[in-house]
Amino acid sequence: MMFEGLLVDLVPYGKRFFALERTWRNNDSAFWSSGGDRHIVSRASIQRMADRWAEEAEQMGPSRGIMFGVQAKDGTPLGFITINWLLPHSRLAMLGARIGDPAYWGGGYGTDALLLIIDYAFGWLDMRKLWLGTTSVNVRVMRQMEKTGFALEARERCAALMDGVWHDGLLYGLLREEWPGRDAMVERLGLRAKDGQNGSSTR
Amino acid sequence: MFEGTLVDLVPFEDDYATYLESWMNEEAWFRAHLWDRREPHPEDAVKKYIEKMEKNERAALIGYQTKAGDPIGGLIYDHEWSRVRKVEVTFFTGDSRYEGTDEVLDGLLMLARYCFETRNMHRLDAMSLAFDEARIDALRRAGFVHEGTLRQHIRWDGDYVDVELYGLLEDEWPGYAARIEALGLQASDLEPKPKPEKKLEDEKALDEKILAP
Ligand SMILES: CC(C)(COP(=O)(O)OP(=O)(O)OC[C@H]1O[C@@H](n2cnc3c(N)ncnc32)[C@H](O)[C@@H]1OP(=O)(O)O)[C@@H](O)C(=O)NCCC(=O)NCCS
Repeated sequence: MMFEGLLVDLVPYGKRFFALERTWRNNDSAFWSSGGDRHIVSRASIQRMADRWAEEAEQMGPSRGIMFGVQAKDGTPLGFITINWLLPHSRLAMLGARIGDPAYWGGGYGTDALLLIIDYAFGWLDMRKLWLGTTSVNVRVMRQMEKTGFALEARERCAALMDGVWHDGLLYGLLREEWPGRDAMVERLGLRAKDGQNGSSTR
Repeated sequence: MFEGTLVDLVPFEDDYATYLESWMNEEAWFRAHLWDRREPHPEDAVKKYIEKMEKNERAALIGYQTKAGDPIGGLIYDHEWSRVRKVEVTFFTGDSRYEGTDEVLDGLLMLARYCFETRNMHRLDAMSLAFDEARIDALRRAGFVHEGTLRQHIRWDGDYVDVELYGLLEDEWPGYAARIEALGLQASDLEPKPKPEKKLEDEKALDEKILAP
């Protein structure tokens, strides 16, 4: 089940990850992933949220979202990457990601995870289109989209309020026929494992 | 009742609940609910839908009718997001005779009025299947701005069709009165349809129940 990348592996979002939720939810990573919310949330309310999601998920059947933990090759939990809001009848699904520790941003981890989940969504879930939303100031996501061949499909004006300033919402889409496959993309982007980490996890 | 120029907004109940039993299985419904899987909605599902909307604090289903009281269809806001003061709006023309008329446009304008002037929204989101010209026309005339095209987004009768996205901002909304004045709406003066029979049957059944010893 585990998907192995060059810098990260996709694994179940289990206890090791959940233990870090409180830190991640209360820091800037949640601000960026939510498009401007400043969560100030306790462990207990995070647990309640998780319980509620789990309950809802059970009733949702094939449209239920899928969440992976993203971990570094040394086993360090970094965050999540998800496929949400699956519409099997339109073969459409939305992606989402959050690397919790800002120290890991911009290091290629997110893109490595993205390539894995795109391959999974097309190859295993038989999706035909993937899309995602971000804000017009999220340069990391915008760069990622550009690198991986997503098209900017819509700009929703003033759809996000971030620290008192209105920004646009951006919607990106990738059709299956536009995806050359993960191997081709790894090559095109020249992605490589970090020195001393040849793709095998220590945990 | 919330009074507009050609239409009034009323609670979605009584005759509306009866009409919805057919409306929810007709083309106009599925066009408005473009995310949903196309499937039949028996009476139970219709009832549940109305209940779900009534309980949802971030959404509402509102009836709209002509000045003569002829029900046209429903106005919907959904996913109201208080932090960003943003809400998704849509409408359906249950009585297809009204498709493309100014009554529907006035319904949309009244919904925008309600969202901006009563609910204090900052932004309205709307969308349309690319071929749904009547909807796109109403959105444009109401002042919505085209913001992009979601390519081949929705499966529709053997094809993957584009979805057009629209937005309307608080500071682009001149106010209902000003908008109406600029548009010069024309009533279509359609003959009101006869009251639904189903409703009468239900009432009879209820009366019998109450009268039964
Ligand atoms: C979005 C996220 C998953 C991306 O993962 P990541 O590991 O940071 O992304 P990558 O390093 O693979 O790619 C980011 C790109 O942006 C570039 N970038 C980083 N900071 C930048 C900056 N300040 N200005 C311009 N470009 C920048 C990086 O250099 C990289 O491009 P490159 O490969 O050409 O050098 C991660 O940053 C994250 O979780 N952020 C917080 C939450 C969030 O924003 N979630 C997404 C909401 S839609």
